[in-house]
Amino acid sequence: MKPGDTQLEILIGRVLRIGVVTSTACLAVGLVLALVQPQSSPALLQAGIVLLIATPAARVVLSIVEYAIAKDRLFLILTSIVFLELVAGAVAALVFHKRI
Amino acid sequence: MIVTPSLAAIIFVAGAAAGTLGALLGLGGGIFLVPLLNLGLGFPIGIAAAISLATVIATSSAVTAGKAGQHLMNFRFGMILEVATAAGSVLGGITAQFISQAVLQRLFALVTAAVAAVTIARSNRRNVIVDPDANPGLLGGRFFDQESGSDVVYRIRNLPLALGASFVAGNVSSLLGIGGGVIKVPVLNAWCGMPLRAAAATSAFMIGVTATGGAMIYYGTGQLPPVAAAAAILGVQIGSFGGLRLSPKMPIRVLKLLLATILAVVSTLMLLRGMR
Repeated sequence: MKPGDTQLEILIGRVLRIGVVTSTACLAVGLVLALVQPQSSPALLQAGIVLLIATPAARVVLSIVEYAIAKDRLFLILTSIVFLELVAGAVAALVFHKRI
Repeated sequence: MIVTPSLAAIIFVAGAAAGTLGALLGLGGGIFLVPLLNLGLGFPIGIAAAISLATVIATSSAVTAGKAGQHLMNFRFGMILEVATAAGSVLGGITAQFISQAVLQRLFALVTAAVAAVTIARSNRRNVIVDPDANPGLLGGRFFDQESGSDVVYRIRNLPLALGASFVAGNVSSLLGIGGGVIKVPVLNAWCGMPLRAAAATSAFMIGVTATGGAMIYYGTGQLPPVAAAAAILGVQIGSFGGLRLSPKMPIRVLKLLLATILAVVSTLMLLRGMR
């Protein structure tokens, strides 16, 4: 534990809460629409899923920024590696998607 | 598969059950949702895994938001381990696209059986430094334990083992659609010095990033059906909200025995299906 850790913890909690509440709201409305009108556009459901998947990635980006501001080099490097690994996953997803 | 309103309702209930158990045990619920979707409702294991990973992300975000500021989650230690889990999950997500359903089911049976055995074997161990003024170090932690009503301090041991277990957990997470808490929590608790509640909370924090690695790949391959996923996610959200309220009141031994029993049943069912 270092000073500032609790602040980052609360900040991360806030970002995750916003992400999960927004995506859940999109999914809830989208689900009702899809069940009531099966022909309707699934755009809201897709938005909910993309938001959901993007939320932990946003939390990693926030940590990178906070550790950069705090000049905490070790954790800046570690969280940046995590972000690059997620980018690699996104690239793999795009490659698979093109093959379908 | 076309999701009718009644099937959506069943998926929602399955999600709620998995979410409650997951929040109680700090496992994200995927270990229960995958068998419910695959064995119970007949979804292919790839789609069951993809839906489950999406619910794992939702649970992780919600649980982390709910517990932020309580010091039960060890963010620094979690972020170190994420380097290993994220690598494991991206590689696992790619590998999963080339493995047959029967092999994945047998792997699921193996993982759940191993975790059940470890949980039973170590069910009496506690990882707590009695002196509340002890120094937990950079990676250790200190939190208020509701069960004993006092501050708890612990130090982290065996970082390489924790990293190795996290890589495997990330890999298995993407292959099987679970958060990977089933592997990390017992290892962190048994060999790395973390009290069960701290290990479970830290794992709940990490599995969002872990599951994101795999979920993106399944989404890219078109294996994440939006209607079924939405029903499962909403169910899990409601279930984990309830489980989170119950969790501090449950004694640790009961939690461990409940976990071991459920895992043994899941393991047997998956093995029987995978051997067909």
